[in-house]
Amino acid sequence: MPTLIDDTIAAISTPLGKGGLGVIRLSGKDSCRILLSLFPSGQNTLVDRVPLLGNIIEPKTGEILDQAIVTFFKSPRSFTREDVVEISCHGSPVVLKAVLRLLLDSGARLATPGEFTMRAFLRGRIDLVQAEAIHDLVEAQTLFQAKVANQQASGSLSRRLKPIKESLVQMISLMEAGIDFAEDDVSVLSDEVVRKRLQIIKNDLKTLYASFAAGKLITTGMSIAIVGRPNVGKSSLFNALLQDDRAIVTDTPGTTRDLISETIQIDGIPVRFIDTAGIREAENRVERIGIDKSLEAVADADRTLLVMDGSEFFTEPDQSLCDRLQGYAYTLVVNKIDLPCKLDLTPLRANPKAIFEISAKTGEGIRGLKQGLFEESGRVTAREAEEGLITNVRHENLIGESIQSLDRAEKSLEAQMPHEALLLDFYACLKSLNELTGETTVEDILGNIFSTFCIGK
Amino acid sequence: MQLIMTDFSEKYDVVVIGAGHAGCEAAMAAARMGVNAALVTMNADLIAQMSCNPAIGGIAKGHIVREIDALGGIMGQVIDRVGIQFRLLNSSRGPAVWSPRAQADKQNYRIEMRRVLEQQPGLSIKQAEVIGILRDNDRIKGIELRDGRKIQAEAVILTTGTFLNGLIHIGENRHSAGRSGESPSLPLAESIKSIGFQWGRMKTGTPPRLDGRTIDFSRLEEQKGDVRPTPFSFQTTAITQPQVSCYITYTDETVHQIIRDNMRRSPLYSGQIQSIGPRYCPSFEDKVVKFPDRLRHQLFLEPEGLNTNEVYVNGLSTCMPADVQMKLVHAIRGLETADVIRLGYAIEYDFVHPTELYATLETKKVPGLYHAGQINGTTGYEEAACQGLIAGINAALKLKGQVPLILQRNQAYIGILIDDLITKGTNEPYRMFTSRAEFRLHLRIDNADQRLTPLGHQIGLVSKENYRRYQAKQERLRLLGEHLQNLRVPVESGKISATQALKRTENRIEDFLDTVPPALRDSLTWEETKAVETAIKYEGYLRQQSQEIERMKKAESRCIPSHFEYQNIPGLSREIVEKLTQIRPATLGQASRIPGVTPAALSIIHIYLEMSSPKKEKTA
Repeated sequence: MPTLIDDTIAAISTPLGKGGLGVIRLSGKDSCRILLSLFPSGQNTLVDRVPLLGNIIEPKTGEILDQAIVTFFKSPRSFTREDVVEISCHGSPVVLKAVLRLLLDSGARLATPGEFTMRAFLRGRIDLVQAEAIHDLVEAQTLFQAKVANQQASGSLSRRLKPIKESLVQMISLMEAGIDFAEDDVSVLSDEVVRKRLQIIKNDLKTLYASFAAGKLITTGMSIAIVGRPNVGKSSLFNALLQDDRAIVTDTPGTTRDLISETIQIDGIPVRFIDTAGIREAENRVERIGIDKSLEAVADADRTLLVMDGSEFFTEPDQSLCDRLQGYAYTLVVNKIDLPCKLDLTPLRANPKAIFEISAKTGEGIRGLKQGLFEESGRVTAREAEEGLITNVRHENLIGESIQSLDRAEKSLEAQMPHEALLLDFYACLKSLNELTGETTVEDILGNIFSTFCIGK
Repeated sequence: MQLIMTDFSEKYDVVVIGAGHAGCEAAMAAARMGVNAALVTMNADLIAQMSCNPAIGGIAKGHIVREIDALGGIMGQVIDRVGIQFRLLNSSRGPAVWSPRAQADKQNYRIEMRRVLEQQPGLSIKQAEVIGILRDNDRIKGIELRDGRKIQAEAVILTTGTFLNGLIHIGENRHSAGRSGESPSLPLAESIKSIGFQWGRMKTGTPPRLDGRTIDFSRLEEQKGDVRPTPFSFQTTAITQPQVSCYITYTDETVHQIIRDNMRRSPLYSGQIQSIGPRYCPSFEDKVVKFPDRLRHQLFLEPEGLNTNEVYVNGLSTCMPADVQMKLVHAIRGLETADVIRLGYAIEYDFVHPTELYATLETKKVPGLYHAGQINGTTGYEEAACQGLIAGINAALKLKGQVPLILQRNQAYIGILIDDLITKGTNEPYRMFTSRAEFRLHLRIDNADQRLTPLGHQIGLVSKENYRRYQAKQERLRLLGEHLQNLRVPVESGKISATQALKRTENRIEDFLDTVPPALRDSLTWEETKAVETAIKYEGYLRQQSQEIERMKKAESRCIPSHFEYQNIPGLSREIVEKLTQIRPATLGQASRIPGVTPAALSIIHIYLEMSSPKKEKTA
């Protein structure tokens, strides 16, 4: 119930771009306290509506992250009618993310899309009678949720989390069975077993958390996956976009088995292109893995380019590929326009967001594609890029929280607290993971118990 | 149908149909709250009959009985007077999941319950079969009896148990029945269906009952009750009935093979029974089929009373044909020569989907009509009793023009049970577990009175005398807490308060009782001192949960008008609109618990709620 909570929220509120400034906004009763934890120079000098220059400091190390201008808007004279703090940093996505991270560590919660506006409305600050404004709000939330849902279904993070969450749910089920079915012939988990299981789960989560720091999972800016049937010129397009020869290009289908990615700047926004394996019905296992990875990349990416060969006829496999991409925002790129055109798109049942015609070989249309991705038909706005970043910070944050819950549980275990007390923190851990992978409910846990144990006198 | 006053031979404020565990609490609560109540049963000798196992309580169920008692219900007092074996389950765990359970003398339970009901002024007991619900313009008018009488009522509470279109299965044989040896309710079932409720069918089962004289107990494991019995009721000072033992035996592969050899003759596996039974109370057939790796299953032999030899075989629920049941019993260790007094059976019955109800247990379709117990898709005496209590209370409150009593999820297991039912519905018989309680550490047996007795007193169900006793107890707890706070005890690093010391794992409250002034110490029961210890030892966890409770309360405080029009809100999917329109959540919090309602949908609803509500000063 995000809309009802009166905690303090934070978000990056300007489009991500290189140069210029980036603004992070805090709203809620703890805004000041949270700010001061990383902006010590404001301690006695912060005045309502007076911008203040100072250093953002990492509280644990004392290291200076950035110089920033901070403005405090005291309740009720602020956008949300709550205490609001605006932090103007230098615009680099990396700095913005680091500052946001610190704010979250100090007790802020990451705002959901549209939540600032929502709060402003709920506090009576703005009059939301125009249906249009509401629709924007609704759209922001539903689009975001749809994207999260897609990632939950097939994203790589979700896949990595699934086995970890399963062991957590299994442990919770065994502990619950020991409590609720003490009368039945159910063996009770010993504290030693709980400790061992807890440590395995915590280590797995820590490994995952570390991968965020190393930047393996996280992207700043936006990501674009390039997919298509084998040999339509995905890698050629990838190279044309990057203007170098990063990927191997051959005429044998299925060469690009692993994902290759490169980041370039377009209009100041970092854009990561991901080259994927050709999607077709795989004939061998190695290829199968590559294709799974491609679909995973599509789920994780902000946008997808579907490449088709303009010199070939439109066939059923093309159609089924389009069907598979239903639900993702994809742009159709018709390649090889330097050759005679045979592709007829009339049978195409689902409409892509936009269609571009290019030749990766001659470079024709590449510039138009780059521009178009941002301006005309695609409308890949900075907001989407921002949401990409936010999504990643959210993931990192939730995994961090899940680890903290397990730390608390471990302490309880050392103090020999009963299982129902330990479970408090195991459920807190589960709650964090639920937000990343879809919900596991009490009913699921009970179902798990009834299928594991023969319950019932 | 147009009804006039002269059609009615009698008139009551509240009529309760069915005198099982739900019906007894409902009628009693209504009468004690000062409205005229009638309890109509098909057989006045079978009031409060325990149709299944001879026990009350158990994990989570024991919590419910405590809560019933704390609110002013009667189940706890009755079982305390007739219980013949008391055990505090989960006593090796933390106090939040301690739960009392007692073996009941079934016959005495009926007699004692009837005695209690008969002593209550303003409560009439009637033996008759109800064949119809009388309505006028969709408002309740009364009931119609098979003997031709019509009884007028302002409120009707339906507690039909397994009687609606009940169908008993024993092997290939089946016959209509409400319970073993009792007639079903057929015309009443049709009358209820004609209202247009969404209804379904459920299944439950019981095991065979044996003649104790023919069981070889010497070869079985004895299970005794606790030396210090834990009563259910806060009023009970002593357990007076003679205490007896239960016995444990196990099945083996020979027994399981009999099931496998005869699987096709079980109605559960021949396709004869289609309805869903409880997963946590499976038939023995299910146990053998679904858990083929289990080489033995535990069975409990429970005495049905002090004045009978009948023994209940807990764990052997079956609807196999008679010859197979005999073979089965005789293959079990200790039961080789046992006489079967009653066969086990399965029963199918109608229930009405509980999503048809408000949290008061009043139906949304017919004002004045309430449902409680198995008709709502639940199972268990305790689950039934607490619903009866809530329906009886709310029927009386409505007649008196007072605000309804709705218990929240953080207040009582009863609140969780009702919220789950009306918000999510149920497809299998619903039973309470402690794992359903998100605030489990707060919902303990020791503080059920703190949670509910003031409420019970406020609505007039807890007597002045009992309320004074409750207050005296709270004062004792306070004094003990204060004493521990002031008491300094030595530790390595100096002196700390006894409260601080108690937070350490190795310390127990018993270690400090010597220092308590004798007058206070002698007035405290063991459970009361433990309650004080619990509050200290788990303070950190309780605080952690309190924060979540505060968050939940915020969502619960945002009410949704009962005729809020979801279909006019753009941006809600049709599926969500349908669900919300059907459930009609009373608060935004309840809406958030409906499966499939997304956070985005909640945001939109919240916005529209704010827009449609009159302008007011926004706070918080």
